[in-house]
Amino acid sequence: MAQSSALPVEQYNYDIVRKFTIVAMVFAVLGMSVGVFIASELAWPFLNFDIPALTFGRLRPVHTTLVIFGFGGSALFATSYYVVQRTSQARLAFPWLAEFTFWGWTGGVALGALTYMMGFTQGREYAEFEWPLDIAITLVWVSYFAIYVETLRRRSQPHIYVANWFYLAFILAVALLHIFNNLAVPVSLTKSYSLFSGVQDAMTQWWYGHNAVGFFLTAAFLGMMYYFVPKQAGRPVYSYRLSIIHFWALIFLYMWAGGHHLHWTSLPDWVSTLSATFSILLLMPSWGGMINGIMTLSGAWDKLRSDPIMLFLITSLSFYGMSTFEGPLMSLKSVNALSHYTDWTIGHVHSGALGWVALVSFGAFYHLIPRLWGAKLFSQTLVYVHFWLATIGIVLYITSMWVAGIGQGLMLRSFDDYGNLAYTFIETVEFMHTPYIWRALGGAFFVAGVLVMVYNMVMTLRAARREQAAIEAKLAAKMAKA
Amino acid sequence: MPGTATCKSITTRCLVGGCGLFYASAVFAVLYWFIYPSWPVGDTWIKGFGTVNYAVTDKASGKEEEREYRWNTRALLLEDLGDATNDPQRKEMLAKVQAASYDQIVKDPKMMEFVRSVGKGLFGDNCAACHGRGGQGVVGMYPNLTDDDWLWGGGMDQIHETLVQGRRGFMPAFGAVLKPDQLDDVAEYVLTLSGETQPSAASERGQAIFQGQVGGCYYCHGADAKGLQSQGAANLTDKIWAIADVPAQKSVQDKKAAIKNFVAKGVNNTRIMPAWKDRLSPTDIKLIAVYVHQLGGAQ
Repeated sequence: MAQSSALPVEQYNYDIVRKFTIVAMVFAVLGMSVGVFIASELAWPFLNFDIPALTFGRLRPVHTTLVIFGFGGSALFATSYYVVQRTSQARLAFPWLAEFTFWGWTGGVALGALTYMMGFTQGREYAEFEWPLDIAITLVWVSYFAIYVETLRRRSQPHIYVANWFYLAFILAVALLHIFNNLAVPVSLTKSYSLFSGVQDAMTQWWYGHNAVGFFLTAAFLGMMYYFVPKQAGRPVYSYRLSIIHFWALIFLYMWAGGHHLHWTSLPDWVSTLSATFSILLLMPSWGGMINGIMTLSGAWDKLRSDPIMLFLITSLSFYGMSTFEGPLMSLKSVNALSHYTDWTIGHVHSGALGWVALVSFGAFYHLIPRLWGAKLFSQTLVYVHFWLATIGIVLYITSMWVAGIGQGLMLRSFDDYGNLAYTFIETVEFMHTPYIWRALGGAFFVAGVLVMVYNMVMTLRAARREQAAIEAKLAAKMAKA
Repeated sequence: MPGTATCKSITTRCLVGGCGLFYASAVFAVLYWFIYPSWPVGDTWIKGFGTVNYAVTDKASGKEEEREYRWNTRALLLEDLGDATNDPQRKEMLAKVQAASYDQIVKDPKMMEFVRSVGKGLFGDNCAACHGRGGQGVVGMYPNLTDDDWLWGGGMDQIHETLVQGRRGFMPAFGAVLKPDQLDDVAEYVLTLSGETQPSAASERGQAIFQGQVGGCYYCHGADAKGLQSQGAANLTDKIWAIADVPAQKSVQDKKAAIKNFVAKGVNNTRIMPAWKDRLSPTDIKLIAVYVHQLGGAQ
């Protein structure tokens, strides 16, 4: 056939990477829009229109699941399948299983979001999937692991590049976390009870929750960073030795820190102390990645002026550095007494999720799209537009949450001359109304940026298709002549 | 080359700084382990050097004495609670308020200042969910406590009674008793009572229903329509509306419709004030009663 003779078989399996890239963007638009909607609900509660499926409680896990697992997860699948093939110089193992991870993951996340809206949930943060979905996800994840390890085994390079170490640690740790946190006794198809109870249950959940942040949202995205930053900068990693040292430090220390989510609860005091100190010890291993990424650009700083993709990557590292400084700070008992249960936590999570995870993914996407579809990016200017929309959005978001969180924390602990509470709870809620509006606005900025990216991608894909058709027409004409 | 030299010195500084920070965080962690309870040892754990003091009542002698404990979350909470309740000024004022009668409290500016301080929190945590933080209420649902129109009475004793035993508003639904045009006439008449409209033929027909046996409205609202506080019946002659949102309606037609709808539906199990006698201490009820009394509508 003319078509197959015109296109040589790709050296690597890019098809699966393309699929995950597209679905990551779809989930980004969906998940972040839901985020803006629930942020608006907090500012203007009438927006739930008394429809149970649209209330904050139902939509909040929809937002976190679509964004973390839908967008973040798909971005990791896409980039890890790309990186493991490129750095191993081997085609992806088990193509049919890779296909299964795509449909299984996408379907699982979508189904999960729907079941949350119907009210089915385990009530475990970031692990709300009921048990049948948990089992399905486990199957997908084991397949992911098998594909990844087998591809690495088939490498034609003697060395396993550091990005793969991070990706592999992420795959292994998430399997461990997912399985243990979701151990439950099913009582029906849509209801189960956790195997753990009381404070052990809470500790298991936050061992999971914090390491979901540590391995899913940190280690894995560091893997992404270690491939795309040097690639985009056209320079080798600043210090390969540092990357290995901070990898092992990060992997070892993260597992201990989860208890800081349970300060000032019935968690034993000694557990809470240890988790706080391991969080403090995590500061430098986390910063190792930031230093390594940013210093990779040393000597080529001018690229920040000419390359908007580099701007995304370096800004993401700056936000990563900021939120990994803020995290240990908030894990101290005395700081936590002020910050816990306030919006400071929400702001902290988003400076990591929007500033680090999303920006580094966008940078990777802009690097990937031209290479995956074999076409020039439609508009460089729109990449700048996206960058500024995203950055303004993040800054609005986190500063408004600092105001809301620290403000509420201070209000709740102030007393008048008689030793009575100076503010009632409802007064703190009134105080937070204005920051909530700014937060929703910040989110809207961020989503607007994502829409610009999607438009840019669609236009690039269209051009790619037109070019392809032109080449094929030319070839057909030549063939006809001959 | 000078360029390389700068690069190297930046590299060195970064490494030294980075390592330095890591060791600093390790030192910090170790100090933290010494201050707070930390590593588990056997079936106990290292207790840490931090201490907390709070007062306990000795069981044998019944005397209160301050004791020192190794740092733990529970001790810290007890210390905080102790600090709050043992505030000498607070203790003194609370004892004074407990001993005083309502009359004495209202007349004493010092005691009133204290009531406003405690009452704000008590009202905010227990009452504001319905009546609003300032006690302004919601028309149609929760009475406004800041005007001087009281359904159940705005005297100190009446407010006290409302708090202790709760209230249950009731008005029969007239939709089944009166025909639509009769309801129109009654609404017309009710509007004239507070001077919203001028008397007319319709309002006269409504008056006959209101004051006669057909409607019998006067049983509760009184022949003068000034209400009856023992029944929680509203005064219809002032311009204050608790249920039908008359002030919000622009045209007379809409005002009439608001009253008509309400009279047709009545009130049954929709306006309930819970009884607080089992939920709050007598002192708290006393403080809230005075606080509500001073909100603006005291009688």
